[in-house]
Amino acid sequence: MPDPTPSDVLRGTLDLLILKTLTLEPMHGWGISQRIQQHSRDVLDVNQGSLYPALQRLELREWIESEWRASDNNRRAKFYRLTAKGRRALGVETESWRRYVAAVEHILATG
Amino acid sequence: MLRHLRLRLRGLFAPGRTDAELAEEMAFHVEREAQMYERQGYTHEEALRKARLAFGSIDHTAELHRDGRGSRGLHDTLKDIRYAARAIRRDRALALAGVLTLALGIGATTAVFSAVNAVMLRELPFRQSERLVSLWEENPDRGWYKNVVAPANYLDWRERSDGFVDIAAYTDYPTNVTLLGHGEPMLLNAAYVTGNFLTVLGVSLPMGNGFSSGDDWDNGQRPAIISDRIWRTHFGADPRVIGRTMSFGGRSAWQIVGVMPRAFSFPSPTTDVWLPMLWNPASRSQVSFRRAHWLRTVARLKPGVSTESANASLQRVVKQLQDEYPATNTRMGGGVTPLREWIVGDTKRPLLVLLSAAAILLLIACANVGNLLLVHALGRSRDVALRFALGATRRRVAKQAMTESLVLSGVGAALGAALGWIGARALLAIQPAGMLPVTDIPLDLRVLAFTVLVATVSGLAFGVAPALMATRTSPSAALSSGGRTLAGSRVQGWGRHLVVAEIALAVLLTVAAGLLVRSYDRLSNVPPGFNPEGVLTFSLSIPAARYDSAGKVIGFYEALLARIEATPGVQGAAAIRQLPATFTSWSSSLAIAGRPPMPQGEDALHREFLGEYFRLMEVPLLRGRAYSSADVQGGPPVVVINEALAKQYFTGEEPIGQRIAFDRVPDSNSVWRTIVGVVGNERQGSLALPARPEIFAPQQQDWNRTMFVVAKARPGIDPASLAVPVRRAVRDLDSLLAVNAMRPMTAVHAEATARERFISVLVLVFAITGVALALVGVFGVLAQLVQSRWRELGIRLALGAQRSEVRWLVLRRGATLLSIGIASGLAISAGTSRVLQSLLYEVQATDPVTFITVTILMGVIGLAAALIPAWRASSANPAHTLRAE
Repeated sequence: MPDPTPSDVLRGTLDLLILKTLTLEPMHGWGISQRIQQHSRDVLDVNQGSLYPALQRLELREWIESEWRASDNNRRAKFYRLTAKGRRALGVETESWRRYVAAVEHILATG
Repeated sequence: MLRHLRLRLRGLFAPGRTDAELAEEMAFHVEREAQMYERQGYTHEEALRKARLAFGSIDHTAELHRDGRGSRGLHDTLKDIRYAARAIRRDRALALAGVLTLALGIGATTAVFSAVNAVMLRELPFRQSERLVSLWEENPDRGWYKNVVAPANYLDWRERSDGFVDIAAYTDYPTNVTLLGHGEPMLLNAAYVTGNFLTVLGVSLPMGNGFSSGDDWDNGQRPAIISDRIWRTHFGADPRVIGRTMSFGGRSAWQIVGVMPRAFSFPSPTTDVWLPMLWNPASRSQVSFRRAHWLRTVARLKPGVSTESANASLQRVVKQLQDEYPATNTRMGGGVTPLREWIVGDTKRPLLVLLSAAAILLLIACANVGNLLLVHALGRSRDVALRFALGATRRRVAKQAMTESLVLSGVGAALGAALGWIGARALLAIQPAGMLPVTDIPLDLRVLAFTVLVATVSGLAFGVAPALMATRTSPSAALSSGGRTLAGSRVQGWGRHLVVAEIALAVLLTVAAGLLVRSYDRLSNVPPGFNPEGVLTFSLSIPAARYDSAGKVIGFYEALLARIEATPGVQGAAAIRQLPATFTSWSSSLAIAGRPPMPQGEDALHREFLGEYFRLMEVPLLRGRAYSSADVQGGPPVVVINEALAKQYFTGEEPIGQRIAFDRVPDSNSVWRTIVGVVGNERQGSLALPARPEIFAPQQQDWNRTMFVVAKARPGIDPASLAVPVRRAVRDLDSLLAVNAMRPMTAVHAEATARERFISVLVLVFAITGVALALVGVFGVLAQLVQSRWRELGIRLALGAQRSEVRWLVLRRGATLLSIGIASGLAISAGTSRVLQSLLYEVQATDPVTFITVTILMGVIGLAAALIPAWRASSANPAHTLRAE
């Protein structure tokens, strides 16, 4: 069986994944992409072309905020952190995602 | 929310900072990725390469990121403007040509529009000026319409009509008073006004209290209001000028009771002093007070009363007066006109014609610049194709092209506004005296808004073709063929349309100019009935206080003529009540002895003369005699008549010896005057109108204090050189007199057609400019044609085509453009030139001579413009072009 090729994260779900990832700790962009890849057991590959615009979008919605600090190898990096608003949003988004998945699953099962 | 706003604002105003942060963030990402690969065993270089590959296009991400910031539109626009500025800088000649052409068009349009604004659009400087109207008299029998009002009728209107808050009266015929005691005697332009004049207009004086209604009647007081100009020039801007007195050479001192606001220009921008009517209370009941018509009026409508219902109230009074005073008012009507319309009057049509001409010029300029930009765009089609290939959207490229034309029109507009400001001042300076009833032409917000609008619209207009062109560029075709084939032919298509439009518009302008010039030519060649050459004229007004008898007045003028005749260089001198061709005249009803009374309304002009006026002015003496020193006061009264009067009343009869009286129905008080001579016709007013019947009475028998003097120079002497000695002659006789309006008679004659000349010269200048621009367009499009077919022409020549054939090829293309353009221009002209008809004298708006001349002229010079590219085409060197492949 060939290695499954990592698939691109669905556009709508990327925001959700970023928010979820950031619940653990403040992280920089690269860290987020790595974390998503690891936690999805290398199934999901975050396209950088979508990551940074997504971070931008979330920051504009005030779901996350950013600040520059020193990273573990002492380079300046931009760290993103979940805001209270973002935490609430995550709950709502997770809920709606689960409903969606359940619906799709239901359709596939009855098919 | 605030944070959100801050982010967006930062994106907008400091894109550099946000972009830099993004770059740093992405660099960090790539670095970490590379470190990861290195740990997996790749070399540093390989790891870096892999990381970059994994990341994808940094620029693309940055672009997406910027989109997310929501400041993209403006960001792009700023970039477009910078790009446009660069493109324009790169092609300086093009930019200069475009900007100058546009500035010319926008400047001309702005200048004329500011005059239109000042005269027709700007609010009159009176309180609630839209409530002000002018009342006038009409008499269909006499051909009077919007005529001056008799004082008694005015007073009755004022007392009896109920549609108006109040009605004021003023005089607008030239009246002069001589200001003494402030340097040289100075002739001031005076207007007589009723006491309520300023109240009706709603103007308050910056200084003084002005007149009271009691000042309408002579009560011994002599109040006067002076203009801001006179206050500054003759009273040293004295802040305590109110109460000071001035002398007009009479017995009484006039007391200054007010200074007018600075820009006050009513009834005329040249009015220096406003004096009260000071009527004799006894006049009110006299028939002359109702028979002589000389007042203008201005009235304020009552609140809520419309012009129509005010007019109805006036008609009721007019009707009453017709019944009450049958001797004078039977056929006397009246009417109401809004004051603005009254003031704008007959300047409206010339101004609108000028505005249209300027607008057409602007259109031509736009077409021309459009053409320039098309050629420019063609030169850049590879550039555009490359941008498409690199993923630019059509919208983006079109926007870029539009930005370029808007930047061009923006610069053109700035320059054009400056030109327009200068042009408006020039218009005011060179206008025939009194044509524009305003003192200044401001560059106000409305004018600026107009300029901006015009610039934007024209920028869009000439920018749309290159923009469309750019979007249709096909990357592959443009890149492979070097932009020669596809885009090239399309450019020429557009260019041809633009040039045809330019030619058509230029023809339209030229036809208008041709009609006006032809009409002016006809008018100025109308024989005026006198010879203005070699004659110097001026007017004098001698004060009643010192010249209080017929003997003193006549004695003064006889002595003056004798003195002037004694001046070296003077052939002869005479005096006349009014100069011919000046639109000012006095008329009176008349009776001929032995005939029944003439119908109501028949009248004749009359003037007084002294000395050999007719001989000096070369007005032919047709019968009998003219001047004789034997005609004296107390002697048998005599008159000289003009040919028109002889023709109207004495056809087939001997006029000499017939007697005339200046009354319609003579009574025992009438003075009967014997006709002793008949002279040729002088045109009294407009040269466009035939001479009216006129009677000349000798000054010795019918004296007047205000006269014009004509001094004829000896042959070979410039009449203007007589000015100094003639002034000295006046001063030697009476040093307290002001010499007014001294100028050669040729200038007086020219003034009679000054308005026609002004309009035709301006339209002609616009037309010449328009034609020049259209020719540049023809030249440009053909040169472009030759350029793009250079290779083909070379090959044709190589294959044995004659050079003349190649020349003909280009010329034929030029001729096609010209004929389509000229034909459409003539068609538009034929359809629209009728609007000019009322400005034309003895020229039909569809005058075939003008149309044919313009056709030939345009054709010839158009082909001349085509010759240069044609010649160049035939000089294509076959060997040269083929080698270049």
